[in-house]
Amino acid sequence: MAPIIEIQNVTKEFKVLNRREGLKGSIRDLFSRNYKIVRAVDNVSMTIEQGEIVGYLGPNGAGKSTTIKMMTGVLEPTSGQILVGGNVPYKNRTKNAQEIGVVFGQRSQLWWALPLVESFKILRDIYQIPEKNYQEMLDFYQSLVDIQPILHKPVRQMSLGQRTLSDILAAFLHDPKIVFLDEPTIGLDVSMKAKIRTLVQALNQEKKTTVILTTHDMGDVDALCRRIVIIDKGKMLYDNDIDHLKSFFGSYRTLKIRVEGELKAQAQAIQKELPEFPVTADEEWISILVDEDKAKVIDVLGRLQSSCRITDMQLQEISSEDVIKKIYEEGVK
Amino acid sequence: MKLKKYITLTRAGIIEALQFRLATVVMVIGNLLYLIVVYFLWKSIYASAGTDVVNGMTFSDTLIYLVLATALFNFMEMYTVWEIGRSIQSGKIVLDLLKPIEYRKYLFWSYSGTFVTQFIFTFLPTFIIVAAVTHGGIHMGVNLLFFVASVVMAVSINYSIDFLVGTVCLFTESIWGINIMKQVIVLLLSGATIPLAFFPEKLREVVELLPFAAIYDVPLKFLLWDGVSMEPHEPWCMLLFQLFWSIVMMVLSKLFWKASLRQITVNGG
Amino acid sequence: MKKRGSRFYAGIYCRILAQDLKSKMSYRADFIISTIGMIFTNISGFVSFWILFRSFPSVDGWSYHEMLFLYGFSLVSLTPVQCFFDNNWSLRQYVYSGDFIKYCFRPINLFFYYQSEVFDIKGLGQLAFGIGTIAYSWGKIGLPFSPLMLLKLLVFLVTASLIMIALQNAGAATCFWIQNSFYVLDLAFRFKDYAKYPITIFSPVFRFIFTFLIPIAFIAYYPSLVILRPEQVPLLSWLSPVVGIVFFWLSYKLWMYGASKYSGTGS
Repeated sequence: MAPIIEIQNVTKEFKVLNRREGLKGSIRDLFSRNYKIVRAVDNVSMTIEQGEIVGYLGPNGAGKSTTIKMMTGVLEPTSGQILVGGNVPYKNRTKNAQEIGVVFGQRSQLWWALPLVESFKILRDIYQIPEKNYQEMLDFYQSLVDIQPILHKPVRQMSLGQRTLSDILAAFLHDPKIVFLDEPTIGLDVSMKAKIRTLVQALNQEKKTTVILTTHDMGDVDALCRRIVIIDKGKMLYDNDIDHLKSFFGSYRTLKIRVEGELKAQAQAIQKELPEFPVTADEEWISILVDEDKAKVIDVLGRLQSSCRITDMQLQEISSEDVIKKIYEEGVK
Repeated sequence: MKLKKYITLTRAGIIEALQFRLATVVMVIGNLLYLIVVYFLWKSIYASAGTDVVNGMTFSDTLIYLVLATALFNFMEMYTVWEIGRSIQSGKIVLDLLKPIEYRKYLFWSYSGTFVTQFIFTFLPTFIIVAAVTHGGIHMGVNLLFFVASVVMAVSINYSIDFLVGTVCLFTESIWGINIMKQVIVLLLSGATIPLAFFPEKLREVVELLPFAAIYDVPLKFLLWDGVSMEPHEPWCMLLFQLFWSIVMMVLSKLFWKASLRQITVNGG
Repeated sequence: MKKRGSRFYAGIYCRILAQDLKSKMSYRADFIISTIGMIFTNISGFVSFWILFRSFPSVDGWSYHEMLFLYGFSLVSLTPVQCFFDNNWSLRQYVYSGDFIKYCFRPINLFFYYQSEVFDIKGLGQLAFGIGTIAYSWGKIGLPFSPLMLLKLLVFLVTASLIMIALQNAGAATCFWIQNSFYVLDLAFRFKDYAKYPITIFSPVFRFIFTFLIPIAFIAYYPSLVILRPEQVPLLSWLSPVVGIVFFWLSYKLWMYGASKYSGTGS
């Protein structure tokens, strides 16, 4: 089967105004302006199969939204080719729109003053969803989360969590092939986050909907995605399994120890002893980031025991959050 | 220096306004078009009337009065009601109230930069064009000093009324309705739509005592004053009239704001 | 996928409209204040009109009641823009904040979808005032009444309204290119105030401008001639339906073009 999304060598450039500073600058801007070209997305390629959940990550301003806008047909790429479900999104915007659903964490697309169920009915008409499918979908929703309490509530009276939930349900209503979720859990409490993750997972399982998820919350990624794509400054940094990411980046583990004596001073002494690993100290623990390709944790521990008295210890696997942070900071070597 | 924090707000406003050069051009064009329409409309009205002076105003008097009323309106309209209403609805008002400047002053000075740009880009060009078109219909003398003093007080009265009406937004969500009522009343009763001189005698006598007349009618009368058409004490009386209303409205708007705010914080609006 | 024709769109519009009205009714205070505001606006319009014509018996050969007819005609023909296209006023904010993008993901016409979101019920008050004014001046002028006249009136009212819609669309659409385009839209909106005057008061140059470039003369003046001066209707009056449709279509194209250029500020 052909992949649902194919992106080949896509680049998008914007012309932006260079504003001058201060009152004088503003007056000069009035008469002469200079523009610069910014490359928001730079030669990006990827293919996504039906039914995948892909985490699309990158720091703020990396080009994530621009890519999504191109996939949804809002923006035309400067160069390169995008196919979504066999369509060129920019050329067939309405046809493409029938096949996709979009959720922006902070921007509700529902009718502000209307009860949720009325928004659903309007969407049913807009997407021409057969009555039978519509009812089945509502029943399916009810089996996943209790939608009764929010169904008759106007969107403007909902809490942020309820609103996000409603937006996600609305995006899946017409059984689209792809759903784009842009920071769906931003600003939500822990239990709401968990609820939304379970919901997305279930919808993906049941309806085989492809999900493209952009987020800054690694909890979302760990819970939902097997594959992640990382982009920064418009360039693709990484596209592979999330498990692969950790080994790809070297096998780091953090060894945390407590020793007798003042921690800061002790940490400095340990750093001298283990020059190859970074050592840090906080109020409670001394942390040593061990690269297991260079030395096993157990050996490091052995070396330390000969020089100081260890009273307590902990071992931490590196989290995907740490890895992503490292990638943002240093790039892929 | 205490004034410095206000001047900073003014400066920021000017910079912000200059970012939008096309908007400035459009505004100038808009005023020109308005000037043209008013010119032709009243020219034909006067032509049909058969006399040169109607209700004590000549064609050029009427033209000066109405066109500069619009220029003054563009200059003085601060969209205060919208500003207050929106920040109440978005909850931004809480942040504004925490600022170390009184809200009433903060709002005024944040807008003051626009006064400067509006004055240069709309009022001044319109003034010059009208003066040229009417061949000295505007007397250039001591009356201009009176005009300037009068505009300063007009701005103050207008702002107080706006702030007073804006305060009502603490109690209702209907900004549009509140604002349009205010605007209609102010524009009609101040003479900005039709010179007060054209109003029926009885109605005019009442309207001329209201604070609205102090916003447009008084400053414009100063512009049309050629130095002989008024008794020596009259200009001073008009300024006193404005001063009276600017103090009354300022006090009223301050009190109302304070009382409303207390009511809201007590009831947790 | 079924074809989405005009019946489909009418159905969607009615559904949104019905829901919207229902929810508006639940904000009674807001509804009442807005209605009072609208009544104020109209009364103030009439008061100015009355004050003006107290001092002047006629303008350029147009009697008081004929001017009143023009005024009523412009009120009615300005109703659709108020009722159906009021969301144009918010376009600038949606574009500026980046929220406009939420309209881009639906498989239906973007312009329709955007405008369908708001129905401004206040326009109906204006409609009532306008109809009343037309009826009153119709009687005072002593115009004959026949079904054909009524039909003419309706056709010309509808097509005249397209001009104002076109002006407002074009004014609103400028926000896709210009920041802070409020002044443009406001200017376009202010043109409506000039629509109620006979075009003959202007000099030839401005007569040309207001007929062909900014066609406000088609909002009330040219179409009214068909009713008021049936013995000497200029060709332009008969053309006004065509002009209305052409300008509406142009403004629609401009709006859609702007929307397609829209890139969405912010992330």
